[in-house]
Amino acid sequence: MTLHDVFVQPFLDMMDPPEFFFEVVIGGLMSGVMYSLVALGFVLIFKASAVFNFAQGVFALFAALTLVGIMNGEVPVFLTKTGISVPPWLAIILTLGVMVILAILVERLVLRPLVNQDPIITFMATIGLAFALEGIGDIMWGSSVKALDVGIPEGSFDWLGMQIQIFDLWAAGIAGVLVIVLAVFFQKTAIGRALRAVADDHQAALSVGIPLKSIWIIVWSVAGLVALVAGIMWGSKSGVQFSLSLIALKALPVLILGGFTSVPGAIVGGLIIGVGEKVAEVYWGPLVNGAIENWFAYVVALIFLLFRPQGLFGEKIIERV
Amino acid sequence: MADNANQTDEMILECRNISLAFGAVKAITDVSFNIKKGEIRAIIGPNGAGKTSMLNCINGFYHPQIGEIVYKGNVRKQMRPYEAAATGIARTFQNVALFKGMSTLDNIMTGRNLKSNHSSVMSFIYSVFWLNWAQKEEDVQREKVEEIISFLEIEAIRKAPVGRLPYGLQKRVELGRALAAEPELLLLDEPMAGMNLEEKEDMCRFVLDVNDEFGTTIALIEHDMGVVMDISDRVVVLDHGEKIADGTPDEVKSNQNVIDAYLGVSH
Amino acid sequence: MAEGDRAASLRAHDTFPKLLLRNAEQFSGRPAFRQKDLGIWQTWTWAQALDEVKAFALGLHQMGLQRGDKVAIIGTNRPHLYWAFDAVEAVGGVPVPLYADGVAAEMQYVLQHAEARFAICEDQEQVDKVLGIKDELPAMEQIVFEDPRGMRHYTQDFVHDLKDIQKAGREQEKTSPDLFLDEIAKASGEDLVGIFYTSGTTGNPKGVMLSHSNVLSAARGLVDLDGMTPDEDTLAYLPLAWIGDHVYSMGEGHVTGFTVNCPESSDTVMIDLKDIGPTAFFSPPAIFEGFLTQIQIRMEDASPFKQKLYHYFMDVARNVGVDILEGRPVGAGDKLKYWLGELMIYGPLKNNLGLSRVRVAYTGGAPLGEELFNFYRSIGINLKQLYGQTESAAYATLQRNDDVRLDTVGPPCPDVDIRIQEGEIQLKSPGSFIGYFKNEEATQETLTDDGWFKTGDAGILDDSGHLKVIDRAKDVGTMNDETLFAPQYIENKLKFFPFIREAVAHGDKRDTVTMFVIIDLDAVGNWAEKAGLSYSNFLDLASMDEVYKLIGECIEEVNQSLARDSALAGAQIKRFLLLHKELDADDGELTRTRKVRRRTIAERYETLINALYSDAEQVDVESEVTFEDGRKGTMRATLKIKEAKTFSPDELRKAG
Repeated sequence: MTLHDVFVQPFLDMMDPPEFFFEVVIGGLMSGVMYSLVALGFVLIFKASAVFNFAQGVFALFAALTLVGIMNGEVPVFLTKTGISVPPWLAIILTLGVMVILAILVERLVLRPLVNQDPIITFMATIGLAFALEGIGDIMWGSSVKALDVGIPEGSFDWLGMQIQIFDLWAAGIAGVLVIVLAVFFQKTAIGRALRAVADDHQAALSVGIPLKSIWIIVWSVAGLVALVAGIMWGSKSGVQFSLSLIALKALPVLILGGFTSVPGAIVGGLIIGVGEKVAEVYWGPLVNGAIENWFAYVVALIFLLFRPQGLFGEKIIERV
Repeated sequence: MADNANQTDEMILECRNISLAFGAVKAITDVSFNIKKGEIRAIIGPNGAGKTSMLNCINGFYHPQIGEIVYKGNVRKQMRPYEAAATGIARTFQNVALFKGMSTLDNIMTGRNLKSNHSSVMSFIYSVFWLNWAQKEEDVQREKVEEIISFLEIEAIRKAPVGRLPYGLQKRVELGRALAAEPELLLLDEPMAGMNLEEKEDMCRFVLDVNDEFGTTIALIEHDMGVVMDISDRVVVLDHGEKIADGTPDEVKSNQNVIDAYLGVSH
Repeated sequence: MAEGDRAASLRAHDTFPKLLLRNAEQFSGRPAFRQKDLGIWQTWTWAQALDEVKAFALGLHQMGLQRGDKVAIIGTNRPHLYWAFDAVEAVGGVPVPLYADGVAAEMQYVLQHAEARFAICEDQEQVDKVLGIKDELPAMEQIVFEDPRGMRHYTQDFVHDLKDIQKAGREQEKTSPDLFLDEIAKASGEDLVGIFYTSGTTGNPKGVMLSHSNVLSAARGLVDLDGMTPDEDTLAYLPLAWIGDHVYSMGEGHVTGFTVNCPESSDTVMIDLKDIGPTAFFSPPAIFEGFLTQIQIRMEDASPFKQKLYHYFMDVARNVGVDILEGRPVGAGDKLKYWLGELMIYGPLKNNLGLSRVRVAYTGGAPLGEELFNFYRSIGINLKQLYGQTESAAYATLQRNDDVRLDTVGPPCPDVDIRIQEGEIQLKSPGSFIGYFKNEEATQETLTDDGWFKTGDAGILDDSGHLKVIDRAKDVGTMNDETLFAPQYIENKLKFFPFIREAVAHGDKRDTVTMFVIIDLDAVGNWAEKAGLSYSNFLDLASMDEVYKLIGECIEEVNQSLARDSALAGAQIKRFLLLHKELDADDGELTRTRKVRRRTIAERYETLINALYSDAEQVDVESEVTFEDGRKGTMRATLKIKEAKTFSPDELRKAG
């Protein structure tokens, strides 16, 4: 392996032909959107309740499993299944309802007993939550890989010599809309403001009569919604399977890159990691016999931890004496 | 200021035989006092006298083990923060507890939280499905908030993130947030601590104006005796968690227990 | 009055109320005034303004305001107070505006001297001031307030809410519908538009009597010179009682029908400026100095890359900006660079200051440093100096768009004659005043036998007819070696440095020039924080050796530039000290328009000046300070005195 192979040849390859390079980038953006959505769920919960929710990835899996189960009429009723197929739109609403119930349960059973505990305690609790949810998902819906089709158009078309997947465009569009809605919700509504207030100072929020419990339920529900969207997209693309929960691990480097408290950071971070690992895999992968995709994100995160621990958009960490 | 026109004989709050302990440490021991509707009531005492603990009991942050609190005729063993806020008690904190990342406007807007006609969950659902509704609701609340901004003369910092404001202004914003709830009883924990003379004079004027214009009952903790004697109608003095005096500023000033407590005579 | 006479009089548009009537008809639906209230800009059209004025005027009339009565107007820039002028004039009263930040003692003199019968106050603060001195004001009968906040408990029967007066006025209109127009028609251009008390750098204020025709001719002259249209937006934030604001906001506003925007409060001016983005902007030099200081502080904080960018494009602007502004040809490369600069630096900068829509910006009231002036013009702001006095309705000279010279205040305005007698600027202007109120002696003193107004400024008319103002005539002195000593000239050079807020030079009849320097707390404070120096207050900061060194370097630069001019080389600054406090109008050290009162300072700090002219290395000072509420206290400090490096002209020539 020469320096030329590492520092020059890959870039030459990118230009030859450029269409292929752009296809790689678009593919990367696609998985980046997924990372972003999961990271977004993390950030929302972290900002509002200072809980590092390890279970966010499992939320996506659980949401997708529930959605498929409801659509396919596999809802267990007294050891049997309803057998009633449900149209996707209704199934999505029902799943959302399940996620809200989940949020209420989390508040009741996990957050309320642990309020004012060390962050590490709540973090451990969410690890427990992750395993519990995986288990419940397995028991309720089984562990086989399931196909998910909620009617997002498939197919592809050529554009400037590149193959563009229609599904990818939809996915990006839906994610974009979701992010905008969330941004408006957080910045422009009273509830959004209350969420930010709780994130900023619990005691002061209590003193103006912001009900912490409702706020937590709302935040976890919103995180559930984000998880559902992520689950639908990932599931539609690669089938609903338990490996889905692993994208949660990818979300960690994304958070380090973007900053734990920054919504734009989560989005940009996700896209950078998504594109970065695909490009690295395709152009540098052959040099090290592949699998760069598996560790690229962590290396980037490590570099960031060393040089810019607050992330791209995070608040500067200043310890005041 | 014995001639406060707002002061009535009706009690808004009575603390009866309150005792509070953290483990073996007694913070408050058998303290009783009352606050009349419309008055400015000062709670004073040396450091560690239990003043802030008392406020924390009133708005429900702390739950006293013994005693009861009668607020607007309802007898409670203990208050809860949400309930206190919902029934008209607002407060500020000794060390300014503002939402530092938010603007002055947003901070004061949070004070309107309970003035919306809908519960959090309902307005969440409304705002998800009908942003227009959320906006209208915001405009209604905004108007009241703007009145407070004008009242406190903080127009120039409306959009400024409060974390970057000088301390004196932060205190003023915090007062604004408390006022936004249109409280009946306003608890101020050292509203003038750390201020220079000019800022103190401004704050005094605002406290008097709040009491005068809105008829708000005010209970305040303050270390500056000049201020306390100037603006309060009645003063209760705590020392080592016990009440040692209660009365008009003049009565308290000449009370031997108070003089001893402040001069540090050992018990 | 016969119907025909009345109509003819109203058509003449020779008074403010008549112009208001015209505007209400001609521009009825267009915005006349705006003010931000509860966070929202409220607009009044000309028709609405007339309606408000009419109700107010009739209300005042009903309260017994007689023609010729003096009415004090006290407050900041609010539409209602501007209407108060119109309303008072409409029924024949004479407005006497007072500075809102004046302390009661200052107001007392003016109110007594003017024999004001009515006072129209903005708010409780002003009412309290008037009530506090009411026993000393035998003529004062009625007090009106605009802002009802805090006024609930005022039960005096002579204190009225403006709204109640307007209500009474509206009732009055029903019974006598012609009264308003009849009263307006009685006045002509020669009648008094108001009495403007000049703060004056010495002695008691003098009441300058101006006629409608004085102010309106001045306004019309300025409108014509710069092609003002009804579409202009201006921000009225300068003191209501200052003639400059009156000519500009009231005069030009009434003449053209443009929109006058009033800030939400005096603290929010910079924010409101950004909201409005005025097309014409008038400001004394202090504000422009403040802007530049702000920019420079922020650039110090910026990243090295941004700093580089800034300095690069400011160099470009310095080279070609003024040429581009004045329409002279420049090379294509420079044009491109300037365009890039506009995109990246000048545009955002102007936007940040709220000056991106400004078509023309004026400054006046005091000389503006050349460097400062150049800065604004080079980034494309058409900043021009105008020159005038209260006694000439601020109308004497104005720089023309295509011919702005940095060291002059421009040629005389239309219909103005200027001459120099014994070094003093004298003028005849359509704005020239009627006289000082109840002070015929002073009037005679300021007029020459052949009717010219003596400005008291030293100046020269150059060959092309531009006026160059050097200094106040009485301030210009000579040093023992016959060097001309023009204190403002030297001070302005110093004040260009962001670290220096104010400077006072001494040197008349002395061997050397010495200087008091008042540091800029923000700029020096920022610098100190960067340098890792901690300080607790102004005095603390001003007594640090590091700060002395910093200011010493500024002074050296000024000395270098003085040394280049052989006539002024002898006026280099030899010794200086940093004053322990800011100069304060409440202490009488500045006028309300922030001009230095030299005589007061010379008297108050005599020991300091003596120390500067001795060998002493430090000096004790004790000074009286006035707090906002009028109480007094003393401040003690020990000040260091430092030498500054001076340069010989020959040395510099060799070097450079």
